[in-house]
Amino acid sequence: MNKLIRRSLLRHPVRTLLTIGSLAVALFLLCFLRSLVTTLEAGAAAANQQRLWVQSAVSLFVDLPLSYQGKIDGVDGVKGTCKWQWFGGYYRDQTNFFAQFAVDPEPLFAMWPEVEIAAGSKEAFLADKRACIVGEGLARQFGWKVGEAVPLIGALFQKADGSAWDFQIAAIYRAGRPTVDDRTFFFHWDYFEETMKEAMGETPQVGVFVIELEPGAAAPGVMASVDALFENGPQRVQTTTEAEFQRQFATMFGNVPRLISFIGGGVLLAILLACVNTMLMQAREQLREIGVMKALGFSDGAAALFLLSQSLLLVGTGGALGIGLALLTQRGIAGFLSRFFPGYAVQPLTLAAAIGVTAILGLLAGAVPARLAERTRTVEAMRPH
Amino acid sequence: MLVPLRYNFRSLLVRRSGTLLTVLGIAATVAILAGVLSLEAGFRTLFSESGREDLVVFLRPGSTNEGDSIWRRDVADRLVKTLPEIRRGADGRPLASRECYLAVLRTRIGGGKTNVPVRGVEPASFDIHGDGVRIVAGRRFRPGADEVIVGTKLVDRIRGCALGDVIQLNTTPLNVVGVFESEGPYTSEIWGDLDRMQAALVRPFPNRVIALLDPGTDVRALAKRLESDKETPAKAQTEREYLAAQTGALSATLLTLGGFLAVVMGLAAIFTATNTMLAAIASRTHEIGILLACGFRPLAVFLSFLGEALVLGLLGGALGCLIVVPLNGLETGATNFNTFTEVAFAFRVTPEVLAKAVIFSLVLGLLGGAAPAWRAARLAPVAALRRQ
Repeated sequence: MNKLIRRSLLRHPVRTLLTIGSLAVALFLLCFLRSLVTTLEAGAAAANQQRLWVQSAVSLFVDLPLSYQGKIDGVDGVKGTCKWQWFGGYYRDQTNFFAQFAVDPEPLFAMWPEVEIAAGSKEAFLADKRACIVGEGLARQFGWKVGEAVPLIGALFQKADGSAWDFQIAAIYRAGRPTVDDRTFFFHWDYFEETMKEAMGETPQVGVFVIELEPGAAAPGVMASVDALFENGPQRVQTTTEAEFQRQFATMFGNVPRLISFIGGGVLLAILLACVNTMLMQAREQLREIGVMKALGFSDGAAALFLLSQSLLLVGTGGALGIGLALLTQRGIAGFLSRFFPGYAVQPLTLAAAIGVTAILGLLAGAVPARLAERTRTVEAMRPH
Repeated sequence: MLVPLRYNFRSLLVRRSGTLLTVLGIAATVAILAGVLSLEAGFRTLFSESGREDLVVFLRPGSTNEGDSIWRRDVADRLVKTLPEIRRGADGRPLASRECYLAVLRTRIGGGKTNVPVRGVEPASFDIHGDGVRIVAGRRFRPGADEVIVGTKLVDRIRGCALGDVIQLNTTPLNVVGVFESEGPYTSEIWGDLDRMQAALVRPFPNRVIALLDPGTDVRALAKRLESDKETPAKAQTEREYLAAQTGALSATLLTLGGFLAVVMGLAAIFTATNTMLAAIASRTHEIGILLACGFRPLAVFLSFLGEALVLGLLGGALGCLIVVPLNGLETGATNFNTFTEVAFAFRVTPEVLAKAVIFSLVLGLLGGAAPAWRAARLAPVAALRRQ
């Protein structure tokens, strides 16, 4: 029986190949689209409960006074804080876009255990004020090595003499969790502050403060206390959990996730129709064989199973190819999309869903012809047409 | 002599289920391409068709949008006062307005945060825009008062943006006293008095200057002169050019996405169409034998089957267009990657979009039908006739 199923599918090798091909394409597309959505949500999903983010209540583009740090440190339940300031510079050419942040170096490691050193050392980064630590993805893109000097042009923050900012790579990190992007460039706040004081004559401001909670401290209480501290200005703040902070970037994409679901639905519908089409052709042509099978004593159920198995084998092969393709191309797509969808990855849950979809497609596409086979009367099937 | 097209239509009708399934598959593919294209068309139209040619936008040299253009106040003032090309109003004052601009964090009705642009403008702004900015409810804000007006597209999307509401910016509460309408992206913005907005946001600098120029001024020559000007260096462009430049990133993203989906899904649709045509030809081998024996040339048979595939594609394309047409005018929001602010715009199913969709469907039919039609044309009449 197994052999018969395989032989039946191979009777029209071109048709079988084309169907498998379109299935592979469709399943690949579904995995890809779903991964775009999960990538958008990954940061929020993996968020750390112990970290809170303090940003301006007015706008993401408004900075906070440096003096806020001491006041936040004094709030009950706050173990430590870390400054983050978006630098917005570029390397060699304006199109080389990646995120750079001036941060407090020690808290960076204390508060983000997921920043794992892959090359170089933490000590080297802490020891040198002009040192920076870069993500593996970034190092790969530009071919950077530990010890290399990297000049950045400050687009937002210009040095007094207008020259490039000098950095030296002290370490390369691996992102242990999706809360950290592997294409970020971190450097010392002190170097930033000193240079800006020289250039502007005043202390620079801070983009966001990140709070590390004391173990057991209640986040809502701390959030309310920090917000209340600056209720009367000069800049009101909004303290949120890390999940909430990350989510605001995902919601910026607006209706994009819904749009992607619509597209996914269209892909599914189109491919289901294609599979049903192929299986109906198979069934129509095999009517005679089914008659022969039944005449030989195979039951109606066996005849139905014969067609259903063909459908499952056909769809299963196409689906497996598509899912395999999604996994194989993961790296390349991640590199291509790194600007808008950093950290693109096919999640295990997406794979499981894709396998489920494949199985359902196989069953649905097989059901109609299987029913046809089951109902066909032996005599009718064998009558020459 | 060509095989009559009626033969193909009849054949498609006889094989109803196969035809229908293939047409639906092509329709889904075409609909998705057309949907993404009309999204892009809506976004692009909003920006590029609303810009004026006689209105000039001055940015700080080197910046690409008002979000990262920061003027020193004295330089902006000097530009407005001293540039001879700026047109004068009836009262003799220059028709120019310094504007501040900031994307502020607001809550969407229905949940989630988004960035809404707040724009501080000078009284001359209303004279400059004329009918381009119309109050549809309430009144204009009074100069120097803590009042704002909001674009129509914000009222139903952003919390606190209805007439009579209060918008809190940092420590300053601002009364919403009017709702305004405009053709361009301004309809997704909050407008207030320049000085009050700068005070509320604690940002004492303008982001851009807009001005009407004397008729006949050569904007390009002016731009070139200001580029290297010592006193008032600026990047000058017409409003149309400025707005068109703002659509780059999102348009490119949408077009890449649309193109990618079209190629990948198109591939699947071509496979399906080929399958259907192969099956059609296999079951009509006998007929093809008759056609050839009647004296139809292989070329005529080839064209006949290719035509049948084109009809399949066209039916799919027409159905796909029908699916997309109701989207026309549907409002949606998307982030403009240049300023990270959300703009509301509508899908626009333009004739151009539909034409592209139909051409795409014909290409799908053509590619799907070519190989099977070739096979049909190559059949030997005697062998074909022998087959049942």
